[in-house]
Amino acid sequence: MLEIKNLHVAVGGQEILKGLTLSIADGEVHAIMGPNGSGKSTLSYVLAGREGYEITQGSVLYRGQDLTTMAPEERAAQGVFLAMQYPVEIPGVTTMTFLKTALNAQRRARGEKEVDAVGVLKLVREKAKALNVPEEMLKRALNVGFSGGEKKRLEILQAAVFQPSLAILDETDSGLDIDALKLVAQGVNALRAPDRAMLVITHYQRLLNYIVPDRVHVLSAGRIIKEGGKELALELEARGYAQIIKDAA
Amino acid sequence: MTSLAMLRADERAKAGEAFAARGLPHRRIEEWKYSDLRNTIGANDVSAAGSVAWSLPHTPQGLEVLDLSQDEIPGWARAHWGKLRGQGVMEDAAIAFSTGGLALRVPKGTAVREPFHMNLIAGGHGRVLIVLEEGASLTLVETHDASQALVNIEYEIALGANATLQHIRRMPNAADAVRVGTVSATLAKSACYRGHFADFGSKLSRLETNLTLDGAGAEAKLSGVAVLAGKTHADVTTHIKHAAGDTASTQLFKLVAGGQARGVYQGRITVAEGANKSDSRQTAKGLLLGERAEIDLKPELEIFADDVKCAHGAAIGDLDAESLFYLRSRGIPEREARDLLIHAFLADAIAEIEDEGLRAEIWRAVEAALVYAEAAP
Repeated sequence: MLEIKNLHVAVGGQEILKGLTLSIADGEVHAIMGPNGSGKSTLSYVLAGREGYEITQGSVLYRGQDLTTMAPEERAAQGVFLAMQYPVEIPGVTTMTFLKTALNAQRRARGEKEVDAVGVLKLVREKAKALNVPEEMLKRALNVGFSGGEKKRLEILQAAVFQPSLAILDETDSGLDIDALKLVAQGVNALRAPDRAMLVITHYQRLLNYIVPDRVHVLSAGRIIKEGGKELALELEARGYAQIIKDAA
Repeated sequence: MTSLAMLRADERAKAGEAFAARGLPHRRIEEWKYSDLRNTIGANDVSAAGSVAWSLPHTPQGLEVLDLSQDEIPGWARAHWGKLRGQGVMEDAAIAFSTGGLALRVPKGTAVREPFHMNLIAGGHGRVLIVLEEGASLTLVETHDASQALVNIEYEIALGANATLQHIRRMPNAADAVRVGTVSATLAKSACYRGHFADFGSKLSRLETNLTLDGAGAEAKLSGVAVLAGKTHADVTTHIKHAAGDTASTQLFKLVAGGQARGVYQGRITVAEGANKSDSRQTAKGLLLGERAEIDLKPELEIFADDVKCAHGAAIGDLDAESLFYLRSRGIPEREARDLLIHAFLADAIAEIEDEGLRAEIWRAVEAALVYAEAAP
């Protein structure tokens, strides 16, 4: 599904990712853990195609295609989804209108038939119910006045509606209380499928109690310094980043 | 010569002298700082422009329409004659260089249900007198379909107690036209003036709205949008005077400028001494679509009373890069994402128009104008 090789990325002339290599197979859930400033968010933005992130070396293949040359909207249509750490508030555009516009833009780009208003409403309601997203939230302007937890739930709702092949979750657990965390994790687990891969980026091990990963990678100073199974997350929690980084050096 | 003819001749002569003495307004006059008329058109072109012509397709029931050039003028028109207007030099020009004019009246207690459409079909100077008597209401929809070289209209508006005038003004794009308008309105107790001004830009376009809230409960609600492309210009200048206490005014203007266009909002609020419990809110926002576009926003407050609420806000910016990326990352193509954000920017100002059909009309004009505003340069 995703094949990242020796990826170097600079932001404003400063190198943040320094030779990152990572590969995720269909159906797998991988976690990337790392301290602040290790390059976690840079990786997520590079994969989603945000401007200002300069790839100086290396490659990113998504289903065998070069992801780095695609526009963000093209990546989305091809099935790449980034649940953002800080979802943007957009006054004047209701959440439902946004969901309909985005879903149909993706379908149009793939040459699929657009879904009419009734169809979108039905689909969104069904997915919203499972995530405990009230109807009233869908009528409000996108993310405007939403609490941190509501914003994160709406990100996962989008994943449920768009059904991406590769879902990247950037610090989806930040700002969530334990009940909200469980709910969001449930939503993510419901998305697990043999033809879908997920990359869960997090600072804390807590989320991984609920979303159990197949592989865990430790990111430090722009490189993966350690890899392992789900037990690596527990080791990190017990020993702390500093010790693991020291061991790897 | 009848007394009416003498009155007219005298008024025109005085206005002509005043215009000759002051000349065309220019950028060193504060109110015209961003709309230099002297640099845009010659004084001779102004004095020779003649009178405007309107097409009035339908007079709705309850509305009286009068041609002010006729020999006999009824008492209601005589009563307000020349008493409502201000001292602006372009108001003088409108009086001096036009003949006749148009007067509208809605009698006491009459609600005119259908909107009255005024379509400008020939340029020049024009005078419009609007009298809404106590409890009367009217929706006036004004469009300028032609792109004449010069249009200069002055409006004198008297709203009686509890009267409501909705004034919607749509100015289509006309890159070579010079358009100036001055509205002077006086609102009695609990009267309401709702103005919505949509301007799609001309060589120079300026509407000055001077409202006096003269009785308790009087309310002014102004809103508008400008969507500008190329080298066009649009200036909305307002002066709302809270002369009496317990009066309210709200203003919401959204300006979008692409290419090398220039959008201007100048809004002055005056709260007179003793006009306590006045409530005024003004918001003006600008969205720049091009590096060479310009937007100038200038809110001003003059408060001479103690117990008042005055809120104002002004902000100018580009399309938000984070919002654009967010929408694109959800599969919405860049162009569509930009459109969505521009629509969202304009939406609350257009929502101020109460009538759904008229609102849709403005939206259609906005869509058409955005195609040009988004295209460089």
